[in-house]
Amino acid sequence: MFNANFQIIKVAMDVAMLRQSVHAQNIANAETPNYQRKYVLFEEFLKEASKVRLATTNERHIASVQSIPRARIEVDKQSFYRNDFNGVDIDYEVSQMVANGLRYEVLSRLMSKNIEYYNTVLRGV
Amino acid sequence: MNEFTIFRVSASGMTAQRLRLDVIASNIANSETTRTERGEPYRRRIPIFAEYLIDNAGTSAVRVVRIEEDPSPFRLVYDPSHPDADENGYVRYPNVNVLREMVDLINAQRSYEANVSAFNVTKSMINSALQIGRG
Repeated sequence: MFNANFQIIKVAMDVAMLRQSVHAQNIANAETPNYQRKYVLFEEFLKEASKVRLATTNERHIASVQSIPRARIEVDKQSFYRNDFNGVDIDYEVSQMVANGLRYEVLSRLMSKNIEYYNTVLRGV
Repeated sequence: MNEFTIFRVSASGMTAQRLRLDVIASNIANSETTRTERGEPYRRRIPIFAEYLIDNAGTSAVRVVRIEEDPSPFRLVYDPSHPDADENGYVRYPNVNVLREMVDLINAQRSYEANVSAFNVTKSMINSALQIGRG
């Protein structure tokens, strides 16, 4: 009964929450020697996943289900921001975190809107 | 991953930075202390931070593993009238550089604030999730 938006928004919200966790970890460890910055890879996988599709040349062929990839936490081994081999740039981290938080807010409103539409239908207004 | 473990991560960052502030405060307070219970001048203290895992998913928080002493030599000041002066008239003062401590202090404060804003962003994210479906 529910459309695909629910699934997609849910995944996007989960990814944003995972990003928040990673930002919080980076900020907490911003002064820990040898700590390597973490980040979340997701959009890249999404792009790849939407590229590959099974061809449907006959109407009885089943189209491939577009699977939503899983987000992955990566460790940034390249960047060393300070001379104690810590890779966290705290200004970058905080700005990305705030942007990610706002994105989450937008997604949760989208989710609310989607639910409202169903409510409208159910109430018959 | 549990949303609420993020709070623990940010809280650990705040705790670590606050402890660092305490250590810096004691360094500054004792920057002229020539006598301690061990019979030598005060030694500058440094908190050692380490990453530590708080769940199986690899979420890492921060903690202070120990507080070490700065092994660098004491400051020697020629002052024969001082009660703690040695036979050559030199007084050993703590190896605390107040200027450096002030820089560290500001650094720790900024870092604490960054952890607070991480905490607040997480809080508002969870709040906005709670608003879903409320119309």
